[in-house]
Amino acid sequence: MPEKPAYSSAEEPQLVEWAKAGDMQAFEELVARHRDRIYVRAYSIMHNEDLAVDLSQNAWVKAWQRLEQFHGEASFPTWLSRIVTNLCLDELRRQKRARTDSIEAMEEATGPVENRMKLETVDPIEGLGRKELRERIDAALAKLSDKHRTVIVLYEFEQLEYREIAEKMDTSIGTVMSRLFYARKRLASLLKETLKRDGLIE
Amino acid sequence: MNENEIELKVQALVDGELTGREAEELRARMETDAGLRELHERLTAVRGLMAGAELPRTLPESGDFHWSQILKAVEHEEQEAKRLAKPAASANWWLRWVMPLAGMVCLVLVLSLQQTTMPDLDILLGSDHELELSADEIDVMTFNTADDAMSIVWLDYAIDLQQDSLQLWLD
Repeated sequence: MPEKPAYSSAEEPQLVEWAKAGDMQAFEELVARHRDRIYVRAYSIMHNEDLAVDLSQNAWVKAWQRLEQFHGEASFPTWLSRIVTNLCLDELRRQKRARTDSIEAMEEATGPVENRMKLETVDPIEGLGRKELRERIDAALAKLSDKHRTVIVLYEFEQLEYREIAEKMDTSIGTVMSRLFYARKRLASLLKETLKRDGLIE
Repeated sequence: MNENEIELKVQALVDGELTGREAEELRARMETDAGLRELHERLTAVRGLMAGAELPRTLPESGDFHWSQILKAVEHEEQEAKRLAKPAASANWWLRWVMPLAGMVCLVLVLSLQQTTMPDLDILLGSDHELELSADEIDVMTFNTADDAMSIVWLDYAIDLQQDSLQLWLD
């Protein structure tokens, strides 16, 4: 076996191979490189700091246990992102079972009203920095229901196709399309409100 | 096709999920429908806003602490896996050796009990006489003589107890 260089300067595929062989230090380096990204994805779906931290940790534990199954079809961070996304979806299912989801049930039932909501025009705002816009989008995402936020995150950030989202969320492609459409309408509406309130648009 | 279905198709077109003939038909329809064109533009704008809009965040705990928690959880899971694997191994040992042995012991016990436990025939032996009884699984014939202080009992078992009939000598 060739001598190992410093872990911090090792290439990622090499670190993965070492970790697969049981090298915990190599795995620690992988955690150090991607922990924020994994946390961000968990936070985007859950919008709860404590849960996002716990689910990120669980994702790393699962990743360690399943390293043998990683064959490099996708990049290592993408593979990790899928793991944490699945854990988040499991957590949302668990939460849903634990409570009466009356508000979301109402939202589903009031589909025709949602459908009459107009899609607002929200153009990129000049003078609004990218970070500020991201913060406003993040705040708007927090106001969506779990299922509408999840579908947006899976499509826009996780970059899954309709079919893949339907499989992950145990629903039909039609429902995914409908939820995505409603989520976009709500987002556009919420963004417009906040931008108006801040005097950034008329 | 209702209005909502058309809107969803426009969205699918914006998302690149609508291809082939369906996409061509929708594009042709949009040329003559200003409302659909506007919807397409607005959806495209929302998509543009969302591209790369995930807010970067930093883990709200130190990297060292985060790693220590992961390490602790990994070690815990590995110990649990070992703990669960141990009873399974001993269970295998039980299944392989002890269970067949226990089965054999039970069989021997059953057979020996069947052989040593005589049916209670409730026969009073007091004077010279012969008595013949018939039960479902046993035929009994006895001869009793007080003079010779002897009783002879013939048992004829229908069930197979290695011997089809037994002769008992009683005082």
